[in-house]
Amino acid sequence: MTDESSDVEFEAISSAQLDQVKLKQEGNKFIVILPTRVKEHPNHWEELWQELKYHLKHSERTWSTQQVVYLQAEDHLLDTRQLQNLAEVLQEVDLKLISVKTSRRQTAVAAATAGYSVEQINWATSFKEKEEEANIAEPLYLKTTIRSGVEVRHNGTVIILGDVNPGGSIVARGDIIIWGNLRGIAHAGSQGHRESRIFALKMEPTQIRIADIVARVAPPDPEDIQPEIAYLTKEGIAIARALNFEKSHRFAESWGSWDDTPTDIPKTKVETPAKFSILNRVLKSPSNNKDI
Amino acid sequence: MNRVIVITSGKGGVGKTTVTANLGTALASLGRKVALVDADFGLRNLDILLGLEQRIVYTALDVLAGECSLDKALVRDKRVPNLVLLPAAQNRTKEAITPEQMKELVEQLSKQYDYILIDCPAGIEMGFRNAIAPAQEAIIVTTPEMSAVRDADRVVGLMESEQIKTIHLIINRLRPDMIKLNQMISIEDILDLLVIPLLGIVPDDQKIIVSTNRGEPIVLEEQTSLPATAFKNIAARLEGKNLPFLDLMASQDTIINRLKRFLNRF
Repeated sequence: MTDESSDVEFEAISSAQLDQVKLKQEGNKFIVILPTRVKEHPNHWEELWQELKYHLKHSERTWSTQQVVYLQAEDHLLDTRQLQNLAEVLQEVDLKLISVKTSRRQTAVAAATAGYSVEQINWATSFKEKEEEANIAEPLYLKTTIRSGVEVRHNGTVIILGDVNPGGSIVARGDIIIWGNLRGIAHAGSQGHRESRIFALKMEPTQIRIADIVARVAPPDPEDIQPEIAYLTKEGIAIARALNFEKSHRFAESWGSWDDTPTDIPKTKVETPAKFSILNRVLKSPSNNKDI
Repeated sequence: MNRVIVITSGKGGVGKTTVTANLGTALASLGRKVALVDADFGLRNLDILLGLEQRIVYTALDVLAGECSLDKALVRDKRVPNLVLLPAAQNRTKEAITPEQMKELVEQLSKQYDYILIDCPAGIEMGFRNAIAPAQEAIIVTTPEMSAVRDADRVVGLMESEQIKTIHLIINRLRPDMIKLNQMISIEDILDLLVIPLLGIVPDDQKIIVSTNRGEPIVLEEQTSLPATAFKNIAARLEGKNLPFLDLMASQDTIINRLKRFLNRF
């Protein structure tokens, strides 16, 4: 074995890859949006199914009892049995499927047979809606422990009320806020947004990634556990105490990274320098991820 | 009300089958009617641990094929009345049975038995899905090792998105001496990660290997041992009794250690 580590191919993620099942309240409509997949693979339905159950179970319950659901099936091919399974799982959380919107004829026929109202859209309109998707989405709020094997992807900021365990991962286009212990992988600003930060009550991740930078983090001092923030500096990813972060740090557009030198505030009393809050816990955060 | 409990772990070799055999025997000794279901098709072991291997005539597959009645396939344990085993087929694989068929078998069993314990195979593939399909509750078995705890976490995640509402944890093969020396993950650390209620802690003991080879669950042995007490306590907790956990660290409290502490006071 050599000391030389292999190069890590690490690129910003496209917004289509970030797509997962989405739940949306729009006026008195409750909409379940299935993600459009870049490529369909054999396990496709199984994966979609698990995702839907996960989101229904752990998302904040914004819907009222027996609220009606509009399913946006997009370009998914669904048969009657799959639609029935969907309706059943929605019923378990007190939601009632009444309408299906799809761009596929086969799905439309299956939905009509099962007695749902059908709205068939053509590719052009569905494409237009996709354009809007390119904008950052509303934050995703999950109240659960993210356990090993679970990957949460979202085209916006992700808030987790619970721990992220080793083997679990969060990929967000925006910030990641973990009200708990971060032990898995967190990737903020996954589409190259360098201002994104990762917040955790206890920061002991397997790995953290911001935009296209990867870092490993040394375990915190068990005697002194504090909420912390991981952010990008000119030198790579740094970790600081979360308290007062907004006051002592500002994002320097010109550098494309955070500036942690104190801003000039007229001092009226003796202060500990703002630098104190930077913790030297990042083990490796090379700007080109060559040797992580 | 009868309870259908799957005993699973993700990782192999952590003691699922040992727990199933002993827990089933302990519950039956408490007067409950217990059916043990071996879901490990193709790699069945539960019959060996129970010492019932030679008495198997029909298996779960024969029942499903309609070749015999369910009652005929059940192997009764002569030492413990109330305890029966539904054996898996050894000459087939996990794909030989579907989750629906598992549900059907357990459905039939639940008419006659208070407890149905399903011994789940390792892994999270077909065998796992078969085993969890009929269950309402789960017991996760882990050992104080990183890999076992990690796999347990994965399995808990999979359970949570299924219909299983109650999940309990058994920490098996704990070695107090190693924890004392900080060479093993502590119980606190395991619970901190998995965040599921603890049902019991079973110490590592060579006697378990002896009992496994002999085909006699350790809870049946005349001379009671620490693991046997642990299993009996777990059975009692399942029955709703609020028992304190065994103080396994107490065995570290030797005369010499006590003397040292005494001398340190001065």
